[in-house]
Amino acid sequence: MTDHQIVSHDDWVAARERFLAKEKEFTRLREELSRERCELPWECVKKEYVFEGENGGETLAHLFGGRSQLIVYHLMYEPDWNIGCESGSFWADNVKGIIPHLNERDMSLVAISRAPLEELRAQAKHFGWTFKWVSCVGNDFNLDFNVWLAPEILARGEAAYNYGSKKFTGPSRPGISAFFKDAGQVFHTHSTYARGRLDLLPGGVGEWPPAAKTPFCCASR
Amino acid sequence: MTDHRTGTREEWLAARLELLDAEKELTRRSDELARRRQELPWVRIDKAYRFETDKGTAFLADLFGGRSQLLIYHFMFGPEYTAGCPSCSTIADGFDGFAVHLANHDVALSAVSRAPLAKLQAYKRRMGWTFPWASSLDGDFNFDFNVSLTEEQQREGGEYNYRREAPWKVRGIGDSLTKRGEGPVAEIAAMTGTDTATYTRQRPGMSSFVLENGVIYHAYSTYARGLDGLWGMYQWLDRAPKGRNEKGIWWRRHDEYANHGTGAR
Repeated sequence: MTDHQIVSHDDWVAARERFLAKEKEFTRLREELSRERCELPWECVKKEYVFEGENGGETLAHLFGGRSQLIVYHLMYEPDWNIGCESGSFWADNVKGIIPHLNERDMSLVAISRAPLEELRAQAKHFGWTFKWVSCVGNDFNLDFNVWLAPEILARGEAAYNYGSKKFTGPSRPGISAFFKDAGQVFHTHSTYARGRLDLLPGGVGEWPPAAKTPFCCASR
Repeated sequence: MTDHRTGTREEWLAARLELLDAEKELTRRSDELARRRQELPWVRIDKAYRFETDKGTAFLADLFGGRSQLLIYHFMFGPEYTAGCPSCSTIADGFDGFAVHLANHDVALSAVSRAPLAKLQAYKRRMGWTFPWASSLDGDFNFDFNVSLTEEQQREGGEYNYRREAPWKVRGIGDSLTKRGEGPVAEIAAMTGTDTATYTRQRPGMSSFVLENGVIYHAYSTYARGLDGLWGMYQWLDRAPKGRNEKGIWWRRHDEYANHGTGAR
């Protein structure tokens, strides 16, 4: 038999109802945070970033694809890696089905990596992904949004990440950044890193840290 | 230009850091809830529930597919529906992609609905999904787990989300289903080829089960807004500059949008 506590249905319902009150409190707290997140001030994006995409060189404004909101997933895939990060791939499997719904809400979702476009294309084809995935190799985008370290910073072994200072052995880190476009001007509205990303997976966090015990699977690759 | 407050990088960062503290608190709270969820007692399942599946008639134990844990999404697709619930369909668009990952982590994920298997299979083909989907048409499963109501239960006031609802005639519809009143529900009902009463005799939910030494236990069930965290698109919209930004039912099945397709443009 199992070691877990086994009870009658009525006792189970009683325990479940007590727990439900906690869950509801959590749901309300999450709503409050979502409200606060929307109220954050925005900053103008003044630099012109050019990405390599299916339409040739594309600016950040182009990545909005005619919509007013853009969410970028900084998918870890360095030019000298053979394949993109597993956790980024897991992310892709999580979101690929919901993108049409986000599009309907005036929001584009684009993955951005430092690997060259041909490699991104090959991986997308292998996994059957159809979302937009562009290369930022050759521009400062990942550097400016704190998901990539220049070699001289990396050599110091410690760098700013997730609004604090962290130790790193590899150049790239995962993150998500949100942008808004109005009258041709692009604003940076929000960025989240590390565990902040996991709430974007339906079902929340689950097992963390992952069984591998390395917070970022590709950090030492 | 925009009406939204704009600032320098430093001003933005200061505000962002304040929110970060609150976000981290929520993450830790979520960890604590997940722990407590696992500590809930279990109930032994003694009834032999039968389902119709792609592989023929199956018992609940078969839905585990060799794994020790089973997550069931109670997909609203009643026998009278001409198509699955569009809201459940957007949730399924999310789990269709990651079910394979869970399957390789000792967790089977299956949808269960009351519509006959042939209807489920046809709709699954239309949507391009690959997760297992079983029909519970000829059994008590949906009723025992409070995701289907008989006409009588609906008339008298059924139980959903651990509450007894007011009788149908008095309130029109169980508020716990949408909290949005009658209009939008009628709209969704029409998208399933039914009326509000028929549509709401099915309810959304998810339940989890454990299989140990040949015995099945019911571990957890959640309903209504308890599914919010499993509804992937909302977690993303909550990070979009405009948030959820809804004034009614905007979502459709993924092949019903004007420019449906890959999301790339």
